[in-house]
Amino acid sequence: MTRQEIFNRLKGILVLTDDSSRQGIDDLEESASLMTDLGFSSVTMLYMVIAIEEEFGIRFDDNIGAADFETLGDVISYIEKKLA
Amino acid sequence: MDTEKRPKAKLISFRYLVYDFVKITAALPALLVLRPRWYYESPAAKKRIRGGAVVISNHYGFFDPMYLMLAIWYRRHHFVCGKEFFESRARWWFKSFLCIPVDRQNFSMSSLRAISDELKQGSLVSLFPEGHINGREENVGAFKSGMVLMALQGKAPIVPVYVQPKKHFYSRSRFVIGEAVDITGIYGPRPTFTQIGEVAGLLKEREDGLRAILEKPKGGRR
Repeated sequence: MTRQEIFNRLKGILVLTDDSSRQGIDDLEESASLMTDLGFSSVTMLYMVIAIEEEFGIRFDDNIGAADFETLGDVISYIEKKLA
Repeated sequence: MDTEKRPKAKLISFRYLVYDFVKITAALPALLVLRPRWYYESPAAKKRIRGGAVVISNHYGFFDPMYLMLAIWYRRHHFVCGKEFFESRARWWFKSFLCIPVDRQNFSMSSLRAISDELKQGSLVSLFPEGHINGREENVGAFKSGMVLMALQGKAPIVPVYVQPKKHFYSRSRFVIGEAVDITGIYGPRPTFTQIGEVAGLLKEREDGLRAILEKPKGGRR
């Protein structure tokens, strides 16, 4: 799976989990900050991780916490590494 | 959620030895000194909690876990507590008391998995969603939304409980037990981020409602 495909599926997850900013999510870039641009909290971050696990069929490491990802690009890189 | 057959926690296990010993030996003194009195939000709230559930309560003092254990005395509580307690000398005590450590600054997947595993096994996970001791304030503080995620992952309902702040340790303990809230019944299995925040707000309102029951004149209480 290419990085772009992962990114598109990730956007799909973000739309599903946050219906209030559909348009904003389509325009997102990899450099978007989870905390400042998307307004994520530690809880919403973990909620996204759960949705990613179900979508991609991967399991995040136990020690992964809300503070481990700064941007969407970090999340994509992690998924890429897990799928490799 | 209610229609599914949910697992029940084990009746006897070596891991419960310390917890059960303390609970049994402290029962009589606690009943005599604290003289607990239970109130219920509705007749449905009187039904005993079976299977996995998240129990939430207001947090006004250090002894709240003890009061909460007394409020729902017939079940073992797995309290969610800060990981710093597990780094202290008393870690053995917290572990024996079935506490689940969480990093409050960086809530991790391991904590969430530990909590949801307990819930799926039919245990009761108890926590204080205000996230800190709220002093002797009568008003309940804002709730954090982590409990909603725990309940969703553990496929368990949330039971709100109000513990009335006491003027003295030996004053009578009063608890109000609320009806269980099934989040998936309200928002479906995958609520949005916004809805998770809404559930936290809704539960805070329910907690305020439980507090109001104790403020009613005696005839109006159940």
